[in-house]
Parts: sequence; C-alpha cells; structure tokens
Amino acid sequence: MHKLIQNEMLKLIAKKRLIVIAIIIGVLVMLFTYAQYKQIQTQREKLGTSDWRTILQQQIVDTTNRLSSSRISDEWKKQLQISLQQQQYYLEHDINPSEPGAPTFMRIFLENSIDLFIPLMVMVIASDLVSSEHSLGTVKLLLTRPVKRWKILLSKYITLCLAVSLIIAIAGILSYGISGLVFGYKGWGAPILTGFSVTDTGLNTSEVRLLSLWKFLLMDFGLVWFVAIVVGTLSFMLSVLIRSTAAGMGVMLAALISGAILNNMVSSWKSAKFFFMVNLRLTDYMKGNAPPIEGMTLSFSLLTLLVWWAAALMVSFMVFTKRDVY
Amino acid sequence: MNILSKNSIRAITGVAALLCLLWLAGLGWAVGEYYDGTSENISKPSVSEQKADQKKGLTVVALGDSLTRGTGDETGKGYVGVLVDEIKEKTKKSVQLTNLGINGQRSDQLRNQIQEEEIGRQIQKADVVLVTIGGNDLFRGGQGLIDFQAEDITAIEKKYLDNLNFIFTEIRKHNQTANVFFVGLYNPFIELNQGKEMSKVVRKWNYDSAEVSAVFPKIVFVPTFDLFELKVNDYLYSDKFHPNQKGYRLIAERVAALMTW
Repeated sequence: MHKLIQNEMLKLIAKKRLIVIAIIIGVLVMLFTYAQYKQIQTQREKLGTSDWRTILQQQIVDTTNRLSSSRISDEWKKQLQISLQQQQYYLEHDINPSEPGAPTFMRIFLENSIDLFIPLMVMVIASDLVSSEHSLGTVKLLLTRPVKRWKILLSKYITLCLAVSLIIAIAGILSYGISGLVFGYKGWGAPILTGFSVTDTGLNTSEVRLLSLWKFLLMDFGLVWFVAIVVGTLSFMLSVLIRSTAAGMGVMLAALISGAILNNMVSSWKSAKFFFMVNLRLTDYMKGNAPPIEGMTLSFSLLTLLVWWAAALMVSFMVFTKRDVY
Repeated sequence: MNILSKNSIRAITGVAALLCLLWLAGLGWAVGEYYDGTSENISKPSVSEQKADQKKGLTVVALGDSLTRGTGDETGKGYVGVLVDEIKEKTKKSVQLTNLGINGQRSDQLRNQIQEEEIGRQIQKADVVLVTIGGNDLFRGGQGLIDFQAEDITAIEKKYLDNLNFIFTEIRKHNQTANVFFVGLYNPFIELNQGKEMSKVVRKWNYDSAEVSAVFPKIVFVPTFDLFELKVNDYLYSDKFHPNQKGYRLIAERVAALMTW
C-alpha cells in the first residue's frame, strides 16, 4: 500500500501539475492584490481619508440608501439588511472588519475562491487521475499486477487527498507572500467577529464572539479544504466513470458554474439546497452572511456535502472493482 | 537533488500528510467554534490612538434626506457635491466630504441617526456641517398635498421642530465651532391647484425652522423657497419633487455665497 502511494505521488509530481497550479494561483493572486490596492486607493481619493471608520460609516449610509430603492428584489434586500446590521455592529464595537494586511487579504481570497477557484484547481488534478490511465493505456499494466483493484484505487484517492492538502497550502502561502509585499505581513492578531446568525427576523448578534484572525484563518482553511476534498472526490468519481478526461472535466465544470449561478436565484426553490454546488460557500457561515436558501446552516451544508462525498466514493470503488477493462 | 528521487517524494508525501491533518484540525475547530465558541479578549486600539487623526484641508459633513444625497441630479452630485467642488476651487484646499444623507429620511430618523457614536465622531471632526431635513415630514411622498389643511399638520410641525431642536443641540454638543448650514424647504407643488395654500404651510415651516436655528450660535438657515418660486418645473427632476441638476446648482450657489473661510 505504502509503495503504491509513493508510486502515485511520483506520477503526480512527474506530471508537474502542482507547479502549473502554483503558477496559476500566483498569477491570480498578483492580479487580485493589484485590484485590491487600486480599490483602496480610489476609495481613499474619493473620500479624502484613510480612516476606516469614516469609510465604513459611508458604506453604511450607502447601503441604507440602496435599501430605500424600490427596484431591488426581496432577497437582495434581505442580504443588504444583514450586511448593514453587521457593518453597524462592527462600527459600534470599534472593530475594523478588514484590518489592512496580508492575513486579511488571505481571508478575503479564501472566502471568494472557495466555491469556484479552488475547486477548479483541484479538478485539474482529480479529473484525470484514473481516466488518464485509460487514455494512455497504462491501466492494463496497472491492473495486471498482483495487487487488489481497490488498493490501486485507494492509493490514487489518498494521493488526491494529499495533493488537495498541498494545493490549499500553496494557495495560502502564495496569497500571504505576494499580497504581503503590498499590504504588509502584519495583522495575524487582528480581531474579527464571528457567530452572527441569520434568522427570519434578520441578524442575530447575541452569540457574536471575538476571534484573532489567525484562528479564524485556520478555520477558513479547514472549510476550504473540506470543500476541495468533496469536489475532488466527485471529479475523481467522474474520472472513473467517464474515460474521457475532457468530458469528465466538462461535467464537473458545468456543475460548479451552475452552483455559482443557482446561488443567486434559488431562494424560492427550497429543495435545491440538497445540491452539493449550492452548499460550497461554507466560509459564509463563519462570517454570518445570509445563506442562499432559508434554513441552511453549517451543519446542514457539511452533512449534505458529506453524503455526496460518501456516495461518490462508493460509486467510484464499486465501478472500478467491477468493470471489465479491455 | 532530483525532485523525482525516492527521498524527495517521501518528503513531499510526508509534508502533504501533515498539512492534511492540519486542515482537518482546522475543519474540526471551525465546526466546534461555530456551535460552541467562546469569546477571547483582544486588546483593541486605545481611544487616544484613534483621535490622532491628522487633519489637512477642510472636512464637510452632510446630514439629512434625499436632497443631501442628490436624488434627481443626473450627475449624482447633488447640492453637496457641487458645493464641495466650489469650495475646492475657491480655497485650493483638499476637502474631505462625508455624506450621511439617507433617501426619504424624516426628522425623527435623523434624530436617531445623529445619536450614533460614529456620526457624533464625524460631526466632531467637521469644519462645515450641512443639513437638509423636513421635506419628508411635510410632504410625506405626496400625502401632504392632500391633508395639509388638516389639524394634524400642526401636530406634525410641532414634532418636527422638536426633532430639529434636538438635532441642532446634538450637533453643537459634538462641535461648538463648525459652521452649520440648514437648508430650508421649497414648494415643489407650487404650480398645482392647491399650490398657494401649500406654499403658505411651507413658509410657516421655514419661518419656524429659522427661529429654531437662530437660537444656536453659527447655525445659519438658508432659504430656498424663493429659488423655486418661479418656473419651478425648470428646476425639478422628472419626479416633480426633487431638484434636477440646475436646481441643485441654485441651492449650492446660495450656500456657497454664505460660506466664510
């Protein structure tokens, strides 16, 4: 077993996929850093100040004005109200919701890449783990060895999990290292609020707690990792089921993108909450953003994802061990 | 060293396994924290540190309703924006504008808003405070047009004046030196059937508001009624209620004329 994993790792590293992923993440982080930097600059120019309280106050007033417009939809209105209450809470407790620095950039990067970007990167590895053996014809060599088939697949799966862990770490290190050049490397101990819960009447702040940013970040990383593992397992399954890597990737990509679109319009279609792709934004629960569908909670999303994960894993192993290879 | 050597593969695998455990721990912690977390004590920056907000140029704070917001101005500036541009041009100084106007705000809502801590801090920093309020108390989105003769308009005015008094008191409490310009009401309905009667009510409100302003030092009541008296529709936005770009320019010019520095 140990040897098998080593062998799979060797294949993975020889393919240089991780390096490609690192380069993609690096380039994107550079783009985001520059965009963020520009945004802060224009904001400063527009308001003539860099005092975060003034900026936040101005944001609150702007949000209030958007709320008074009759042209916005009810769901959007509710989301705005919640973010408004949150901003107000931050202001009243004198806490900067986005303390400048690389750790904050990292947090924002993670929160925004959890549902599309990181899963995409994971797909690059996961979607051809098995199907490439078919297309290269190496699958016969692999299966003629005196090793049980499930062991082969398991070693591939463990390699996938290890690769996912590496990708998350790469994303963390690169976003910290690159953005720090511009925003500075300090800010690990900055306070951040968590524990906002969204109820029918609005935002519940009775459970709100203070956390240091580094703890919050570790939690965010854990959630991103979980999402990446689930998405990785699903594309792994497709890679077993579909021999063409491109087709498998296409299916997964469609699912992910549909999730991003559905998130904005499913609030009246309650049963859509059982789709894995609308449950990917786990970090939003930590931040206290309104979920896309009423009644969704962290445990619900985790459980839903877990069911999808288990099902995908089962299907993969069943199909791989039973299928005729020719 | 070759990256594909046995040892380096083993090292990468080991690191990946450790990271895997770390992220798993993070996940477990996140779930635990989400359902049963405790707050920790984090030292917040002290108050004195916050006050050290170095100032350069002028600080303008605008409070009030949609007029402050600039609703109806295609350029989005409103009288506040035009005025700030003018101040910049005349003084050659940088101007920091904080526009706290909220569409549809009535005097009782401004009364609440002004009690917020951060709003107080903003006022404290200000060199000039601009206020528009009362339009929504009086006109109530057109409702005022129907029942302005009723007895309760007196009651509404009494409440409005009381709020206005409170608002001015709060402003002066936070800032004794800033010049405050309170922009009065105009009658957008002047050309309608009952425009004349409405104008009478607006004049009375303006007169009483000016009286309230006069009690406080350096609070200047800026009349706008006359600006919109002739050819009101040239200066109104298509909703026939808010000023348009030209209308806002008139108001801004009037306030600018009163300013001293």
